[in-house]
Amino acid sequence: MRALRYTGILPSLLMLVVVIALNARLQPHFFGLPSLEDNIATLTPTILVCLAQAVIVLSGELDLSVGAGVSLINCLLATVPISAVGGPWGLMGLALLLALALGAINGVIVTIFGLPSLIATFATAAVWFGLALALMPQPGGELDQSVGDLYSGTVSGVPVPLFIVAGALLIWTLLGRHRLGRRIVAVGSNPAAAFQAGISVLRVKLAAYLVGWLLVGLAAIAISAQTLSGDARVGDTYTLTSVAAVVIGGISLAGGRGTPWGALVGAIVLGIVSNVIYFAGIPSIWQEFFKGIVIMSALGFMVLEQKRAAVA
Amino acid sequence: MTALRLGRPLLLLALTLLLLAAGEVLLPGFIGPGQIANQLKIASFLGLFGLCQTVVMAAGGQGLDLSVGAIATLGGILGAALMNGSNAMTPIGAGVAIGAGLAAGCVNGVGIAVLGVPPLVTTLALSSVIDGGLIVGVSLAHPANGASPGLVAITGRSFHGIPTVAVLWAVIAAIAIWLLSRSAWGRRLCRTGANPITARLSGTNTTQVRIVAYMMSGGIAAFGGFLLTGYVGQAFLGLGNAYVLTSIVVAAIGGVALAGGRAPYGGVACAAILMTVLVSLLTAINIGESGRQVIFGLTLLSFLMLDRYLMRVRR
Repeated sequence: MRALRYTGILPSLLMLVVVIALNARLQPHFFGLPSLEDNIATLTPTILVCLAQAVIVLSGELDLSVGAGVSLINCLLATVPISAVGGPWGLMGLALLLALALGAINGVIVTIFGLPSLIATFATAAVWFGLALALMPQPGGELDQSVGDLYSGTVSGVPVPLFIVAGALLIWTLLGRHRLGRRIVAVGSNPAAAFQAGISVLRVKLAAYLVGWLLVGLAAIAISAQTLSGDARVGDTYTLTSVAAVVIGGISLAGGRGTPWGALVGAIVLGIVSNVIYFAGIPSIWQEFFKGIVIMSALGFMVLEQKRAAVA
Repeated sequence: MTALRLGRPLLLLALTLLLLAAGEVLLPGFIGPGQIANQLKIASFLGLFGLCQTVVMAAGGQGLDLSVGAIATLGGILGAALMNGSNAMTPIGAGVAIGAGLAAGCVNGVGIAVLGVPPLVTTLALSSVIDGGLIVGVSLAHPANGASPGLVAITGRSFHGIPTVAVLWAVIAAIAIWLLSRSAWGRRLCRTGANPITARLSGTNTTQVRIVAYMMSGGIAAFGGFLLTGYVGQAFLGLGNAYVLTSIVVAAIGGVALAGGRAPYGGVACAAILMTVLVSLLTAINIGESGRQVIFGLTLLSFLMLDRYLMRVRR
């Protein structure tokens, strides 16, 4: 069983090694502390959103509104005056509250109303984006520097972004050992069997959405701390990235199969690819194209590898 | 069953009439003949993109084509480059645009039906490749981007008050309705969507059906983008982007289920008209992009809930 679980992640690990090697070759001082810290700070939001998508996908659902959700939270952070909420911590609390509310809405629509998550979250994505645009018709606004300082600081020598990712993964690991984590996987792989075993499918899926959106909230805070401004389109690319990372990480979109480590690997692969493309000196007009090609080949590679593993 | 099939288009048309009446009350002159013709034109494009989603959603397996926007842009830019503003080259431009759309759809279809990559991921990835490729192509080659006078006339003019593009749409819609609900292929498509296993056991080549569905979607999207080039006068990057969300909205509102097996294009066509009227009413009463997005999302959610409710009642 253990061996089976890891066949899914092996090809993505291979990809990870390749892109890291490429990046190390192209980017001067890749393994130097400043550039590592820099890379981690840029990767953190991607990793968080991908982990969020992974929890929701493992429970057998999907969320196409994570990107728009990131934008909405970012716009809220850029419009609320920091004095009104009592400092940077208050602002972050507000962001997490909004994230939980958005997650609860999606969760309720999918579980209690029973709408298909793919199209229902597509609809809520339009709503989140509309609200973000209403808050911030033009990119702009300004976040207090104190939020940025918190993000770029260190806690006993460890950079805060690394701390956040480690914290998220720790929560994940605990989740895996805790009842809720096992229930999420059970519900995702076979909801009928889980129901027969006395698990409340609705409650578990709702919990998956809440846990996922807590991570989305953290990602939005990280992005806002980096840009220190608001933009209703800042989260646009995260939806595709998160779904692609989940697939590249060997997590089945049908639910119930995969590990958070897969999502982490997928997120790093996709995040570092932009780095590689940048440092390879590819002209900017080719960057979009190459990124698309890389995502596509990674997906094809993953799927073929998984098929091969299933046959063997 | 027949009552239900007619029920959805009738409900949508009734809502459209209600919106038109509300528009006339709020802004006298909202339903002048010129206005109606204009809205029919806009609805024709939306209706074509809605057809793309209808076909792939009916094919089941969480079918969805998020690359219609990119493929439409591809069709528009390729078509404009080839026709180079001349009427004589217009059919060739259209042919090449449709060919490119079919090829792109084939990539989607093979990825989804043969390799088994989820449609959502496949079509999103393809659209980023196409968008990226177009950026390269346009900035290196600087192709001609203007529509030929003939194409502008076909997509923009009216004949005795009826826009020609709407007539074109009506013809395509009639063929589509026949193909999807009466022809043997349409039945195979819906069988594949409803239950691929029984479809395969009863002799339907489900892989082939799905590939053809995505090719049709790609071909229609590219043709839609080509026509759009005539309507707006020129092709540009991002030409088709707005249709990704709206095409899915009209398909879902029109009664196509993501679960597959149903392809009621009549309903989708009515939904395209309803959404066009809704957007123009919202624009007329000064509701901006943000409000429109929210209303779009909420409309989609309410129709999904209605579908869900109807399904429970029927059981």
